[in-house]
Amino acid sequence: MTRSKDGELRDTALSDRELKRALAVTWSAPPGLWGALSTVDHKVIGRRYVATAFVFLALGGVLSMLMRLQLAQPEARFIGPDRYNQIFTMHGSNMMFLFAVPVMQAMAIYFVPLMVGTRNIAFPRLNAFSYWIYLAGGLLLWIAFVVDTGPDVGWFAYVPLSGPQYGAGKRADVWAQMITFTEVSALAIAVEIVVTVFKQRAPGMSLDRLPLFVWSMVVTSFLVIMAMPAIMIASTSLILDRLVGTHFFNPAEGGDALLWQHLFWFFGHPEVYIIFLPAVGMVSTIVATFTGRPVFGYLATVMALIATGILAFGLWVHHMFVAGLPRLGESFFTASSMAIAVPAGLQIFCWLATIWAGRPVFKTPFLFVIGFMVIFVIGGLTGVMVASVPFDTQVHDTYFVVAHFHYVLVGGAVFPLLGAIYYWFPKLTGRTMSEPFGRWVFGLIFVGFNLTFFPMHILGLQGMPRRIYTYQPEMPWSGLNMFISLSAIILAAGFLLFFIDAIRSARSGAVATANPWGASTLEWATASPPPPYNFARLPVVDSREPLWTEPAELRVAAGLGVDRRELLITSVAEAVPEARESSVGNSIWPLLAALATTVALVWSIFSPWAVVWGSIPVAVSLIGWFWPKGVPEDES
Amino acid sequence: MKREISHSNVAFAAAAIAIGITSAALGWLREPRELRLDPPVASGLDGLRLMPNGISGTPPESYFALGKPYETDAYNLSQGKRLYAWFGCPACHGDGRGGAGPSFLDGWWLYGPEIVSIVASIRDGRPHGMPPFRDRMTIEQIWQLAGYVQTIGAYTPKVAAPGRDDDKQTRPAENRGPAKILFDQGPVGVHPDQGPSP
Ligand code: HEM
Ligand SMILES: [Cu+2]
Repeated sequence: MTRSKDGELRDTALSDRELKRALAVTWSAPPGLWGALSTVDHKVIGRRYVATAFVFLALGGVLSMLMRLQLAQPEARFIGPDRYNQIFTMHGSNMMFLFAVPVMQAMAIYFVPLMVGTRNIAFPRLNAFSYWIYLAGGLLLWIAFVVDTGPDVGWFAYVPLSGPQYGAGKRADVWAQMITFTEVSALAIAVEIVVTVFKQRAPGMSLDRLPLFVWSMVVTSFLVIMAMPAIMIASTSLILDRLVGTHFFNPAEGGDALLWQHLFWFFGHPEVYIIFLPAVGMVSTIVATFTGRPVFGYLATVMALIATGILAFGLWVHHMFVAGLPRLGESFFTASSMAIAVPAGLQIFCWLATIWAGRPVFKTPFLFVIGFMVIFVIGGLTGVMVASVPFDTQVHDTYFVVAHFHYVLVGGAVFPLLGAIYYWFPKLTGRTMSEPFGRWVFGLIFVGFNLTFFPMHILGLQGMPRRIYTYQPEMPWSGLNMFISLSAIILAAGFLLFFIDAIRSARSGAVATANPWGASTLEWATASPPPPYNFARLPVVDSREPLWTEPAELRVAAGLGVDRRELLITSVAEAVPEARESSVGNSIWPLLAALATTVALVWSIFSPWAVVWGSIPVAVSLIGWFWPKGVPEDES
Repeated sequence: MKREISHSNVAFAAAAIAIGITSAALGWLREPRELRLDPPVASGLDGLRLMPNGISGTPPESYFALGKPYETDAYNLSQGKRLYAWFGCPACHGDGRGGAGPSFLDGWWLYGPEIVSIVASIRDGRPHGMPPFRDRMTIEQIWQLAGYVQTIGAYTPKVAAPGRDDDKQTRPAENRGPAKILFDQGPVGVHPDQGPSP
């Protein structure tokens, strides 16, 4: 071991063994509970995030089965109207805000730094903070539900129903504040991802060599940054209306009830792409690996991602076709809604071309991709149907819409996600999920899903409204409803099997090698699961598929310090190395800051003074967070 | 390494279970929102006993059995607010500031602030123009309305008090109190020292 002139220890001075030992000391979290609470390792936090999101998926699934139980027969007495209102609102809010968006971002927390070949995400403490805030928001919603204060105003909480006059109690406030929690955490991740991708890529990974999943997460992060402020303004205004009597949504005092719908859907439509675009990235990744060739039309696919992201902001009014809009508005938003099918279709054709030209291997992740294509295309077709005003006027707020959005949400996001879990499980846990189990999981979910949701199209056309807790025996709906409820059991069985397989494999699955699928991207260039420092020596890339073009030995960057947490900053477009930069160490302050924020936000449901007094602990925790500690990471 | 992970996993699992049990217990303790009372329970609400002078008294047993919902429960208070508008109370009592009838907002109660007195006033009427509502609404509705009326004049706002209406604003909402110090009420309705006493 020789130290350089300034007394710093660099990796050039160490053998591989020594280097790994030194890096492990620098990058590890302390053992035990303290380490678990103060870690800023993107892998630990990412894994935690994914697991939590899947817990919320399971909870939301339980709620959906309760709804199906109630709806199986006409005039069932199992759940009353008040409880049913809470259940469907909880199910929708939970699935959208606590499962779908966070789980996609969580996958990015784990995989983006690995895929761009760096050692930690940008702003690691913000990342830890984001997780705690997300957890607090989820607990707020679910504890409120258990004490009969669950929101009951639908997942988009339209005023005046959710406003001060009709939304009695704190139910709507809980919804609005849950939004604040999840949006803060989502915005934090979005910023981290953008900075990680633009400034921390491996040398040589110019923007046109970025893996497609990373591209999709960059576009998604920009969508989050631009869409989420709208809903935060909306939910904050709602709380103000309810708590201190402002008049944002009160027409009698110059407010506007329709303003809520505009603000909500200006966020709400991009929201579905915030869920869908990461899934697209996962599909591209899986397709490339399991056909053994790069995705056809890299440029077209990236352009389609960006085009979808931009167009996503020009469609929101299609959720408001029955609100009484000017003709021109309706025509414009019909046209733009149909136009977004173009980039989506383009991507589908790129994948089909890839499969056509490659040698597809039908392993479980790839099966889920096939399932995605079938189901998502059906959902896209009904999407184009409801984009037309006369048709939408007929089926608005019926089960047709419920069928449509489950086809796009479950088909477009959950299928790719499950595929991605099977695909990346080795990298997440070091073990492989079971292939025979996986085929059963896929089969049950695919069949169960279609049997459950396809008949809902018919129910909708027969006029069954959504959000009803029961229906009369005279209505022609009971047969199909019973069929749907029975099919939902198949679907639930598939999910149950998935959870069993995941838990079982995490404990005792077959131990995985570094690159079990022979994939091309950098996350597979390190061990499964990766060590705390990700890469002993940071990789240098000169192609889009580094592990395919140089399977034997990756070139690496040398000269990084090992005494402190150090990573490489590279230029935005070409990824030319610019500087060695320190990455912050473990800290308990993000957790304390999150606790202080939680107290302030929950308290502010009950009293406006919480904003004043509650901000003091928040300020204290932030001062502690940023206080210089005299550790090597502090110097730049 | 393995040991550490399982260590923190255990801690997390324990925390999750603790939270689960606490919330289940809370959920079990908390009364669910009652959209429609059992008829016998509802008719029991009629059995309140007043002092001979018609001021104050004891609420019926069933009121306690229900967990005293009408003064503190957000749903019942907001129902009360709706009934206040529907049954024409504003015709005499205005937005709470009074008119032909006394003000509620000033926190000055001719028959005392207890809910039984207010229920009795609504149910049986009072001298000098307060009509009885016994035959126009159910006893449950009378309790809801009484709880709301009590809220209007509360010295400290109740946590569960309703927010503003989607309407022209004439005074601070019920959850913003005490109204007295938030705005100038202007001339208020009759007080015993100004007009007829009971
Ligand atoms: C596990 C399979 C699922 C089943 C069986 C299911 C079933 C249902 C049912 C029965 C409703 C209520 C319809 C009504 O009463 O109007 C519903 C609503 C909804 N679901 Fe699902 N669902 C599932 C998964 C998902 C997923 C994964 C998502 C999102 C990623 C999702 C998002 C929604 C939304 C947003 C609503 C609307 C809630 C509202 O009306 O406010 N669901 N679902
Ligand atoms: Cu939309």
